[in-house]
Amino acid sequence: MTEQMTEQKRTVAIHVPVLTRVEGEGALDLRIDNGEITELRLRIFEPPRYFEKFLEGRHYTEIPDMVARICGICPVAYQVTAAQALEQLFGVELDPWARDMRRVFYCGEWIQSHSLHIHLLAAPDFFGCNSAIELARIAPDEVRRGLRIQALGNELMELFGARSVHPVGIRVGGFHGAPSLLKISAIRDQLRAALPEAEALIRWAASIAVPQDDQEFISVAMQHPTDYAIETGAIGVSDGLRIEADAFDAYFTERHEPHSTALFSTYRQQPYLVGPLARLNLNHALLPERIKALLVEIGLVLPSRNLFHSLVARAVEILLALHEALRLLDGYRLPDSPSVPVTPRAGVATGCTEAPRGLLWHRYEMDDTGCVVNARIVPPTSQNQGRIEEDLRLSLLAFGLDHPDDALRLHCEQVIRNYDPCISCATHFLRLNVERT
Amino acid sequence: MSPTRILGIGSPSGDDQAGWLTIDALLAGGVHAGGEVVIEKLDRPGANLITLLDGAAWVILIDAMQSHEAIGRIQRFGAADWPAYRQGLSSHGFGVLDALALARELGSLPRRLDLYGIEIGPVSPGKPAGSEIQAAAQQLARQIAADLLRRPDDI
Repeated sequence: MTEQMTEQKRTVAIHVPVLTRVEGEGALDLRIDNGEITELRLRIFEPPRYFEKFLEGRHYTEIPDMVARICGICPVAYQVTAAQALEQLFGVELDPWARDMRRVFYCGEWIQSHSLHIHLLAAPDFFGCNSAIELARIAPDEVRRGLRIQALGNELMELFGARSVHPVGIRVGGFHGAPSLLKISAIRDQLRAALPEAEALIRWAASIAVPQDDQEFISVAMQHPTDYAIETGAIGVSDGLRIEADAFDAYFTERHEPHSTALFSTYRQQPYLVGPLARLNLNHALLPERIKALLVEIGLVLPSRNLFHSLVARAVEILLALHEALRLLDGYRLPDSPSVPVTPRAGVATGCTEAPRGLLWHRYEMDDTGCVVNARIVPPTSQNQGRIEEDLRLSLLAFGLDHPDDALRLHCEQVIRNYDPCISCATHFLRLNVERT
Repeated sequence: MSPTRILGIGSPSGDDQAGWLTIDALLAGGVHAGGEVVIEKLDRPGANLITLLDGAAWVILIDAMQSHEAIGRIQRFGAADWPAYRQGLSSHGFGVLDALALARELGSLPRRLDLYGIEIGPVSPGKPAGSEIQAAAQQLARQIAADLLRRPDDI
């Protein structure tokens, strides 16, 4: 970190080699000339992983297990999205049991991923802590609670996927197996017991002092007529447009930038937000009444234009996921078969779901033997990348550029962590270089 | 017997399977899970490791390590050694040591924790582990099996 004074304005160059508490490896370059930001680039340099290329030639039966390997945090999102896209192409009508259990499985992933992000990645920032280990000294009960909630999400995933990391439960046509009544009864007791814990988590999250920020941005999230969209629905935009998955390319554009191995996405040439806050902004009217009352109690007004509300949005979605899992497991029955027969056909399969970090879109061109001709996967982080850069610029200007370099760096890190970026999915850390003249 | 967990940590990348291979060698050598003994192979468990420590009296944890020592060297870490172990192989910023440090902060560590590292070479995705790692896993499994037979009364 170096600093020097010019005659008019100070000249500062900051080099922060690593941003921790994000999934993956990246860097941020920030240059300030004469009190103005002249360069701001979120640089993702993690090598491309070529997953889409690996999928070519693979049989449809292999796809759910292969795509689960893209992410250790949100494998269910990848599995469900792929399976549903292919099921639609193949004309497969799922058993209602399988449809409901897909959503329950997905709820498990939201619960574990959101709790991990709140307690281990994001919250330490707001308590002046460098890590969850430091946070545990200040708020041990809250961290313990977070770990319990996260573990419950993992258990729910294990129930349907045999394991929580890279689960193997989903197949095109349904599931490989159905959990026993005994296991469902036990997890329902645990889910019910977690409800007051999740409510307490929302109150705690809402009590954390966060910067006041007010930005105009486009929210993009799936919408469903009757449910808070997770695994089904069309793509909704805060400008009122609703877009079916197969029309994604007509509105959303991906482009390469020299400084990033992840693609940048725009909606009608503009950056946009996906993820918990975008979902809450678009779908809060569909929350259960109990959660709506809680939002009134904590004073969270939606839609929100403050990205720092992302932390409490995750807490809200944890409670929602608990409610949904309990609702769908009420009256659980064992299906005649956990899956239905599948006959592949040639064509193009598209589908999307709401991964914990936001909209996840898949497209597969399939041949008549059920093998992948080509595949395209648009993960949430690449969609948020442009919005993160825009947010950083606006948020830094609102914060003020005259703060000490360490304060600027922390603010940048907080902003970036609001998005819970999964750089591994998008193509790993952030290195921050700030230069001022 | 009080709750005992033997956890081998790894990934499918070459020598990083050291923890898994040790578990395989333990099982092949006649040490079996059951009753109060849980034996598991874990793929980069992150914070989930803390919940796996819950309620255990004795945890034996085996992971790969890189410290510029000879490949296949086995090292046992006490709690005081953890900081030296900190530069782990986790790509997501929350590795085994972070989980253990958080567990310690929360008072969740077992009465006895045996943390073993097996020195590995460069990690190659999809490749089998090297012969030095295979041999080290066998040696460590024999050592752990002998420890289990010498279980102290207070564990």
